[in-house]
Amino acid sequence: MRILRYIGRRFLFIGPQLFGIILVSFLLVKLIPGDPAVMMLGPFATEQQIAMLNTEMGLDGTIIDQFGIYLQNLVQGDLGTSWQTTKPVFDDLAIRFPATLELITLSLLLALLIGIPLGVAAAYFKRSIVKKFSDYYGLLAGSLPDFWLGLILIYLFYTVMQVAPPPLGRIDFAVLPPAPVTNFLIIDSLIAGNWQALWSTLGHLVLPVVTLAVINAGPILKMTQATMERMLESDLIRYAEMCGLPKQVVIRKAFRNSLPSIVTIVSVLYGFLIGGAVLVEIVFSWGGAGQYAVQGVLNADINPVLGFVLFSAILSLVIYLVVDLIYFAIDPRIRG
Amino acid sequence: MTDIAAGSAERSRWDTFLHALRFLFAVLRARPLFALGYVIVLLVFVLAIFAPLIAPYEPEVANPVDFLQGPSWRHLFGTDATGMDIFSRIVYAPRIDLTIALAGTMISAVVGSFVGAVVGYYQEGGGFGSFGAGFVMRAADVLQAFPVFVFAIALVAIFGQSLESIIAAIAFVNTPIYLRLMRSQVLAIRNMRYVEASYVSGASDLMIMLRHIIPNSLAPILAQLSVNIGWSILLTAALSFVGAGVVAPTPEWGSMIAMGFQNIITGQWWPSVFPGIALAVTVFGFALVGASVEVLADPARRRALAGTLRERKKAP
Repeated sequence: MRILRYIGRRFLFIGPQLFGIILVSFLLVKLIPGDPAVMMLGPFATEQQIAMLNTEMGLDGTIIDQFGIYLQNLVQGDLGTSWQTTKPVFDDLAIRFPATLELITLSLLLALLIGIPLGVAAAYFKRSIVKKFSDYYGLLAGSLPDFWLGLILIYLFYTVMQVAPPPLGRIDFAVLPPAPVTNFLIIDSLIAGNWQALWSTLGHLVLPVVTLAVINAGPILKMTQATMERMLESDLIRYAEMCGLPKQVVIRKAFRNSLPSIVTIVSVLYGFLIGGAVLVEIVFSWGGAGQYAVQGVLNADINPVLGFVLFSAILSLVIYLVVDLIYFAIDPRIRG
Repeated sequence: MTDIAAGSAERSRWDTFLHALRFLFAVLRARPLFALGYVIVLLVFVLAIFAPLIAPYEPEVANPVDFLQGPSWRHLFGTDATGMDIFSRIVYAPRIDLTIALAGTMISAVVGSFVGAVVGYYQEGGGFGSFGAGFVMRAADVLQAFPVFVFAIALVAIFGQSLESIIAAIAFVNTPIYLRLMRSQVLAIRNMRYVEASYVSGASDLMIMLRHIIPNSLAPILAQLSVNIGWSILLTAALSFVGAGVVAPTPEWGSMIAMGFQNIITGQWWPSVFPGIALAVTVFGFALVGASVEVLADPARRRALAGTLRERKKAP
C-alpha cells in the first residue's frame, strides 16, 4: 500500500515537470538563429515561397501561438517533422533511441562488472595493490575524454590489428539487418533467428561499449568503494564480525547494505549517458539519439531537438521510478 | 610597548605561515600524487604564458609540403593533415582552453554560490522568501533535467559561436552544481549559535550572509572548483570536437583531435593521440588538486592526515 501511495505522489509531479521541460526547451530552441524555411528551400527560394512554407509549418504566428500548436500536435503524438531527414521525428527517434539505449545499457552492465568487484576489493583490502590501483583508476577514468579513447581503440583494434569492424554504424553494410520489431538490433536478430546479423551487431558493439564502460566504471568504482568502506566500519558489521561470522558472509552483508547507493549512481549515469554518449556515437557513426539531437541543433532543425529532450526527460523519469521500486525491493527500512 | 606587541604579532603570523608551508611540504612528500597534481597544473599555466618561447613553430601557420609527417626531431609530435606542427599547437592550446574553463567556472561558482546562499538563507523563513527559494530550486531541477551536452551546444548555437558564448554556456551548465552545494551548506550553518548571536545583535541579513555564512561554507566549494575546471576543459574540448566550440585553426585540444579523426583510420595516429594525452593529463592534474583541497580544507581530515604524518615520522 505504501508503495502505491509513494508512486502516486511521484506521478503528481510528473505533469508540471514535463510541462516545464517542454516550455523551456521550446523557448531555448526558438532562440537559435536560423530560418528553417530558408534552409529547406535553399538559396534560390523567393520570398513568397519562404512565407508560404512558414505559414504551412505554423511558423508565422507569435511564439505563444507556435507553442500552442506544438502542444496540440504533441497531445496527438505528433512531434513534428525533421527537415533534414524529411521524416516524422517520432519515427526517427523510434529507430535512434533503441540504438542509444542498446549501447548505454550494455556499457553500464560492463562498467558494473569492472567497478563493483574492484570497489569491494579496494574497500576490504585497505593496504593492498588493488586499493592503490582503484585510487588511480578512479581519478584517471574521470580525466579521459571518451571520444578520444574511442579513437584510440579504433586505431588499435581496427587500423592496426584489424580485428574490429569499421566504426561505421551498428551492423555491416553487407549483412542484411533483421526485420525491425523493437529496433534493438540484438533483440530483433534473436527474434528473426538471424545469427549472422546478431554476430555482426555484437561485433560492432564491442568497441563503443568498452569505451563507455572503461570511463563510467570510474564513478561506480568510487561509489562502491566509499560506501563499502563506511559499511565495513559500521556497528552492524562490527557486530557481525564479533559474532565470528566468516569473512565472505560479512562482506556479502556489507555489500547488500551498500546496494542502494550503487543503484543511485547507476541511475544517474544512465540518465546522463542518454545525451552524454553523443560523442562516442559520433566517433562510431552510431546513428543514436544524441547524435540526432546535436545534428538538429547545429542545423536549426528544432523538432528533433525538442523530441529528443522530451524523450530523454520521460525516460529519466521512468528510470527514477524504476530506481525507487528497486529501493523498495532492496532496502527493508523503506518497506517499513 | 606597542611596537613590541606589533612585532611579536607579526612574528607569530610569520611563524604560522612557515608552519603552514612546512605542513604543506610534509603533506606533499607523504602524498606524492598531490604533488604531481600541483606540478601538472603549474606546468599547464607555464605553457599558456610562455607558449611563444617554447613552441618551435607558429601554431596557425600551415606548411603544406610537410603534411602528416610522423614524430621526428624536426617535428617532435609530427604534423597534421595541413602541415601544422602538432607540438607547437599543443603548447599554445592551454591559452584558450584555460581561459574558457577558468572564466566559465569562476562565473558559475560566484553566481551559483551567491544564489545558493540566498536560497538557503531564506528557505526556512516562510512567506515570500521560502516561496521564491522553492521556485529557484524547481527551476534548477528543470535546467538539470536537460542533457548537459545538448544544452551546452544549444546555448552556443543561440549566442553565436564565439569565445564569450562558449564561456557563457559552460558557466550556465555549471551553475546548478554550486547552487545546490551552497544551499545545503547554508541550511546547515544557518542554525548555528554564532548566526543567531549576530542576528540578535542586530546585524542585517546581508551582513550575516557575507560575514558568517559564506566564509564558513566555502571549503566544499573550493574543492569542487578545481575538479570543475578540469571538467570544463573536457566540455570545451567536447564542444570543439563536434564543431560547436573553438574553430580551427585556433589551437585547441578538442578540435585538434577532431582534425586527426580521419587520419587515424588510415593509420596516422599522432594528430589525435598527442592532443588527447595533453587534455587527459591536464584534467587529471586538476582532479588531483581538487582531491588535495578536499583533504586540506576539511579540518577533520586535515587533522587525521597530520596525525598519520607524525606517526610516520616516529616509525623509522
